[in-house]
Amino acid sequence: MSTINKQSANQSQKLMVFVLTMALYGLATLFTELIPKFQVGIVEFSVEYFLFIPLTLAMLFDPMSAALGAATGELVFSEIMLGQFGGLGELEKFITVTIGVYIAGRLVSDPQNRKLVGIAAFGGTAIQLLLGTIVDILKVQFAIEDFESVAGLPESVFATEGFAFVNDLLFSGILFCLLPTLFLVPKLYGKIEPLLGMQPRTKNTALDPIGLKAVIGCAVAFAVAIGAEFMAESGLSLIDWEADWAESSTAMAIGMVVAAVLAVAVVLIMRARSEKSSVEKGV
Amino acid sequence: MKTVEKLSENILDKLSIDFLRNQVLKNAYGNNDTVIAGMDPRILLVWYLFFGLVPWFVNDLPFLIGCFLLVAVTTMMAKVAGLVLFLFGLGVFSQTGYLLIVTLLFGGDASAIAPLLVLTLKVATVSLASITVFSGMDPDKLANGLMWYGCPERLSFSISYAYRMLPILMEEFQNILLSYRLRGNPPEHEHLVGKIKYLIYQIKVIIHSFYPLMLNTAKRSRTTVEVLEIKGYRYAAVNKEVKKIKLSSLCVSNNDLLFLSASFLWIAVTVLISTLI
Repeated sequence: MSTINKQSANQSQKLMVFVLTMALYGLATLFTELIPKFQVGIVEFSVEYFLFIPLTLAMLFDPMSAALGAATGELVFSEIMLGQFGGLGELEKFITVTIGVYIAGRLVSDPQNRKLVGIAAFGGTAIQLLLGTIVDILKVQFAIEDFESVAGLPESVFATEGFAFVNDLLFSGILFCLLPTLFLVPKLYGKIEPLLGMQPRTKNTALDPIGLKAVIGCAVAFAVAIGAEFMAESGLSLIDWEADWAESSTAMAIGMVVAAVLAVAVVLIMRARSEKSSVEKGV
Repeated sequence: MKTVEKLSENILDKLSIDFLRNQVLKNAYGNNDTVIAGMDPRILLVWYLFFGLVPWFVNDLPFLIGCFLLVAVTTMMAKVAGLVLFLFGLGVFSQTGYLLIVTLLFGGDASAIAPLLVLTLKVATVSLASITVFSGMDPDKLANGLMWYGCPERLSFSISYAYRMLPILMEEFQNILLSYRLRGNPPEHEHLVGKIKYLIYQIKVIIHSFYPLMLNTAKRSRTTVEVLEIKGYRYAAVNKEVKKIKLSSLCVSNNDLLFLSASFLWIAVTVLISTLI
């Protein structure tokens, strides 16, 4: 999140980009939750990504605001509003979308250079999908105990995830990220910036090409995303601990039940009393 | 031939935007009278933290079943919109049912079912807990609750903004789509080739309609931000006094405590059962 600094005009424009990306990408992800998936044989044609929206906006405006806006939009509109919020997994999605969109936006120094726009759009999508795939594989490995011992499961996870990656990249990546971005960026260039009171991005005004700092930043962010998943691994020791006392002492569990019963009783009494007193006050 | 039929039921006919809008609105503002909606958001978030995290780490079947039953009951209490529940079912199946089929394909046998059942229970419990909390609560309350826990102001702003803007945005998107369809000349869709062409045409229309939508939304977000600036939003967002006034409406009632302790009792009982087995 950006902090307040002296460039107030710049700051409010960043907020505008944030709001714009959030609203548009949020709306689009809401649709993707509902659009049916076409299964032709084992190839699944799903309209998984409307990633072209944040990609386009990141190439035209401030990439960081657009990236954060897109990730927040997805989180708020399609996860929280539809009640699909999945806790840890959402953090990973948030970070991968942010990284993918941000890198794509930074790559484009001149939005009128179609080649560059195409490479950036495809590259950003590929990064996002690849990071997502890595985390997905790790997630399944940690969620299932004795992962290796179940026959056929490890291969199937690698196969499904790897296949999903290639499938998503070739189908969604080209159809829903590359082509629409190539269509929209030149068309919107010079038209949408004045609406937010900004100058169109040119070679001179563009941010410097990605430096070491940005790369390190992305690596750290991805480490956090993996860390969120690795918490599951450290959670494995938590299971051991829990199973340990759960098996050894039933007394502990009985104690918990007694405590819980007491808690419920106390709250019930408190409630009855407060109702009584409020009735008395009312009279 | 089934795939052809599936293809022909094109994207736009399947989802009526009006239906979608109604469901989202119903989900957001339609169930303010339920027990869950009346509760304090902070308590519910703590409750969610438990049921959203702990099931991932536990592999004990009775405990997981117990958790699942509890969140199923709370989801019923929250009176969640049908669409959300449908999506939940679809999501759980696509996450684990698909995996089961592929596992069988790769020469796994019935032994794969038990770990997958555990995984399914985990996924289902966590999603139902989130449905209870995030769909059952009023969006403004949820935003306040998150803010109390020190979430960035921008997140709670986004939540409140999203719920208010979404119906307008959807209507606008629908209008643009309809105007494109009115002006457009869709290809014949009698045969397979025509149907694929028709599908491509539909997707093209959707993408094209984002062009005016982007321009319109850009104007709208500028207005929004300028209005916020007039109200001093960016300074208010970091000001502690303002935050205090904003959050003064939150209060923990006995109902909240009862809910917490009842959940605790249920969990304690399931732990007891799992130790006895």
